[in-house]
Amino acid sequence: MKMKKLTALLLSVAMTATLLVGCGAKEEAAAPATDAPATEEAAPATDAASTEEAAPAEEAKTYSEDEILNLDMFITMPGSEINDDNEIAQMIAEKWGVKIKETWLTGQTAAEATGTLIASGEYPDLIDSDDMGILADSGALLPLDEYIDKYPEFKEKWFTEAEWEKFRWSDGHIYWINPFGNTKGEPTATTHNDEAFWIQVRVLEWAGYPQIQTMDDYFKVIEDYIAANPTMEDGTPNMAYTILCEDWRYFCLENAGQFLAGYPNDGSVIVNKETMTIEDYNTSEDTIKYFKKLNEEYKKGFVDPESFTQTYDEYIAKLSTGRVLGMVDQWWDFAYTVNDVFKQQGLDKIGCNYVPLGLTTEAGMENRWHTFDDTVNQASGVAITVDCEDPDRAFEFIVQSAMDQELHDLRFWGVKDVDYCVDENGLYYRTDEQRMNWADTAYQASHRCQYSYLLQWHGTSDDGINANKPEEQPSEFQYDMAQPLKDCFAAYGAGNYVDMMGSVVESNGPWFPMYSYSNNFTTDTPGGVAWTKMGEIKHEWLPQVVMADDFDATWAEYMEVYNAAKPEDFLAEMQAILDTFK
Amino acid sequence: MKKRKTSLADKIFVVCNTLFMIAFVVVTLYPVLNTLAISFNDGIDAVRGGIHLWPRKFTFKNYLTILGKENMITAVYVTVARTILGTLLALVTNALLAFVVSRKRFLFKSGLSLFWVITMYVNGGLIPVFLLYRNLHLTGTFWVYIIPGTISAFNMLVLRTYMNGLPDSLEESAQLDGAGYWTVFVKIISPLCKPVYATVALFVAVGQWNSWFDAMLYNRLKSEYTTLQYELMKLLSSVMNQSGNAANASAAGAANAAITPVTVRSAASIATMLPIVMLYPFLQRYFVTGLTIGGVKE
Amino acid sequence: MAQEQVKVVKDKRITWKEVKRQKFLLIVSFFMVVYGTIFYYWPLTGWIMAFQNYKPNRGLLGSKFVGLAKFQFLFEDATFIQVVRNTLAMGVINLATSTFMAILFAILLNEIKSTIAKKTVQTISYLPHFLSWIIVTGILHDALSSSGIINELLLKYGFIDQAINFFAHKEYFWPIVAFANCWKETGWNAIIYLAAITAIDPCLYEAASIDGAGRWAKIKYITLPSIRPTIMILLLMNVGNVLNAGFEIQYLLGNGLIKSVSDTIDIYVLTWGISNNDFSLGTAAGMFKSAVSIALIVIANYAAKRMGEERLF
Repeated sequence: MKMKKLTALLLSVAMTATLLVGCGAKEEAAAPATDAPATEEAAPATDAASTEEAAPAEEAKTYSEDEILNLDMFITMPGSEINDDNEIAQMIAEKWGVKIKETWLTGQTAAEATGTLIASGEYPDLIDSDDMGILADSGALLPLDEYIDKYPEFKEKWFTEAEWEKFRWSDGHIYWINPFGNTKGEPTATTHNDEAFWIQVRVLEWAGYPQIQTMDDYFKVIEDYIAANPTMEDGTPNMAYTILCEDWRYFCLENAGQFLAGYPNDGSVIVNKETMTIEDYNTSEDTIKYFKKLNEEYKKGFVDPESFTQTYDEYIAKLSTGRVLGMVDQWWDFAYTVNDVFKQQGLDKIGCNYVPLGLTTEAGMENRWHTFDDTVNQASGVAITVDCEDPDRAFEFIVQSAMDQELHDLRFWGVKDVDYCVDENGLYYRTDEQRMNWADTAYQASHRCQYSYLLQWHGTSDDGINANKPEEQPSEFQYDMAQPLKDCFAAYGAGNYVDMMGSVVESNGPWFPMYSYSNNFTTDTPGGVAWTKMGEIKHEWLPQVVMADDFDATWAEYMEVYNAAKPEDFLAEMQAILDTFK
Repeated sequence: MKKRKTSLADKIFVVCNTLFMIAFVVVTLYPVLNTLAISFNDGIDAVRGGIHLWPRKFTFKNYLTILGKENMITAVYVTVARTILGTLLALVTNALLAFVVSRKRFLFKSGLSLFWVITMYVNGGLIPVFLLYRNLHLTGTFWVYIIPGTISAFNMLVLRTYMNGLPDSLEESAQLDGAGYWTVFVKIISPLCKPVYATVALFVAVGQWNSWFDAMLYNRLKSEYTTLQYELMKLLSSVMNQSGNAANASAAGAANAAITPVTVRSAASIATMLPIVMLYPFLQRYFVTGLTIGGVKE
Repeated sequence: MAQEQVKVVKDKRITWKEVKRQKFLLIVSFFMVVYGTIFYYWPLTGWIMAFQNYKPNRGLLGSKFVGLAKFQFLFEDATFIQVVRNTLAMGVINLATSTFMAILFAILLNEIKSTIAKKTVQTISYLPHFLSWIIVTGILHDALSSSGIINELLLKYGFIDQAINFFAHKEYFWPIVAFANCWKETGWNAIIYLAAITAIDPCLYEAASIDGAGRWAKIKYITLPSIRPTIMILLLMNVGNVLNAGFEIQYLLGNGLIKSVSDTIDIYVLTWGISNNDFSLGTAAGMFKSAVSIALIVIANYAAKRMGEERLF
């Protein structure tokens, strides 16, 4: 143990040394340590190397090994575990006194894992699940209201009063806080962190960057490309289009209909703003057209036949080879992993990166694929369970994760001079090597610690210069892009992914997104039962519809089964929720 | 014995039978040998397919990867512990129970038998059982692998049948010498039951070694009580988890992508099956006799 | 003293003295009953949940009774009917195919004259029994994938011109499960049949040979009738377990596309009981399974009795 730690220390010292050289001349200019944030940034790096020495007088308190509060956190998403002796996790522990061991979902569905916890009655200290409502009903979660009131500054900054209200569970308490989708400072969104039809830039480049507005255009260009280029340079056959539909991720198959019709991502239903009524996109004309097109492509052999049986990991592995030309997905569902691999393998240099397209049923329609506002999803978030022994400190750390810029930078940018450099204007930048390291999985496990399900900001940092996340730093974003991607953006006159989409800029209603309500439906109500059954039926039938020899007949059969699940019960309950906003 | 001339039909039969047996052996062995070959193959290369009985690009990396996983090492300890402890305990308790119900003059012989046979067909089901374990504070502990399943009616029946087949005179003569039931059990019956004990021990050991569902259900968050098969099951998914650690084991920087689930999973499969596969041929003699005599009602 | 005991043993009546002598047996029995009660019978009280709308934080006593509502939901739920059908179908198919394969293998193996060959084949045949379902399904998944050995062979010999995605077609699932079962257990199940065959008096075969009987005739008229009781008793024992045969493989191999043929009662219990946290519904489904199991075993036993075969009890 001692040995291991020592090695880690030596390593980080060595790395600091080499990378200091790496940061080069620019750094020298800013060398006089008058730059206040810079000294603070450097602090954790030094005290990692000097735990046994007395801390410098002006240093904040550092926590010793037995003072550190160890917390278990369970997240019902697959993720990569970091090593126990992760360097940044250790720095955070010493400075803020809390170390979190994250456990991710493996081998089970999210609902099964949560259900298992409830049945056993033993919980981790912190949890972020898809079934927060059930956890709250089972008495697993600690009401957070009092704790939130103890931090008025946090309370005011993180959510508005109305947003906090949305988090109130049926018993009047707030149990969880959604960590995502909040912006501070200036919005800096460069990625389309939403759903889209994605296409590899090499396809667009080959086709001479055509306008692609409908599914017909989309598949046409892919088909043409594959006819001309059946394989990649190394002989791997290209694959036109794949669909992920494992468990809850079958949104990649099921909900494109709402977007194609020009609606935003309300998820489970469409909201008609004019009449304030709930509509079912599962049966809409746009959805039928969408599936009919998929069916047509399937029959032509352009849809991956393993689509409906592949697991998420198989899907990610498939995308990582660079051979898949297109798919529907959410950015966050694939991009982080896949883009890292592309960079590592040099696939980004040959145009394997994906860009989003804002397709609609007919050309020229408005699209709302991109959500410009912060999306407050009150259906999930991070919660403290009743089994947590020191909820005060746990909550304090949650607050710090949002309010402490230094902590935030450490999580998302890394260690100053090791993972990023600061130029004379205080702007953070990274060298190629730093960028490569950051994308390397081994480095991620041993060094990087994002606590990615704790609170986090988009937008700009407190210093007003830098983005809270590197990928949103305009200079970083530009620099990080491989040439084919830059060319593609340039060809379409787009500055970034959001511009590629060309979605209508407008605010959504206060009910948005409706899925945040349906996600917490339980089988105690007829609507909840219908919702569960609809999901099961869609899971089973949508693939069959795509693979059908006779589309119309299969669709009719599907509709018969679908209607038997009483979707009207579900829609009625959703309407009742929408009515409260009238 | 008279040597009869083999007829044509007989010859055809022999040929067909031999072919059938060869096919049987191939179908049985090929998947295992194929897994073995893949487990020694380079990850990226394996994706191309076409590996059959011999690796194309030989490497030990996959095995290093699984050895590099902290959970795997824990899982080995837990699995070995539960297999040994669970088997010993199950053997002693089931043998005692079988001994009791096979005493011809025992008062509650049939009552006790029935009490246990019923449990073979009636059980509370997943949810009530889960709640029971929770109330007994077995969930989240190692003991949930050992205590609940120890006595099983099936194993008891196998043992009972075997013991019933032993001559009564042994017990009677021992009792003539003043031996109590305990002595009869330890000194007279048990030594004769070696084959059936070995059989039951093997049943239990294989069950313990191969189980994963209890680890997943009752020790979801206790990584210190994970089992080999559960780790293997998790390997079926989680590309990401692997690549992180895979790269740890391999020196090359960009090598993490060179390891794919198939090869690592194959390595894990082989490593997990190895101990039991190496052991069973030596126990064969015992379980065949044990099962034969114990399994069929006379 | 010794004299007396002999008398006691010979005596048919059970005396008080005898009871005292059985103290050890009684103590063991006591612990066995306590253990059995806790771990096998006590969970049955949980069946009360099936008649409640059970909420974990209210407990068995505090939850509301809803009568037969949960059962009504079950029998009106098309999915439940489906999973019952799947469980029964796969159970019966597996029982039939695995019994058939085991007998066939035992008989054919017995016909092999070379002892070494026989021993080798036999040892190999046990191998899959010792592999976990995790490993077996992993192997199966790879073998049946689009680049797996099965598709490779089918393509090579021109049976198909495009790889079949076996797990995307409902019609393949039951056969795959049956095959997997046979692959894993044929050798193991054959042990008992082989023993029964070995126990047949060789004179019978000798006599038949003298009468000019060929191999087939001998198998048909001597081997099969001789092992008939063994077959019957094993079938009987397994009928009650038909519904227990469906969890691991279906759980590990199933996917959304073929759910309607792959899901079994146990998976239904897991989905509703654990994933959807409806403990009551999960329990009700489990109760139904137990009831059907008992009904099956009683029917099988009765049928065996009518046909004059061996019985379990």
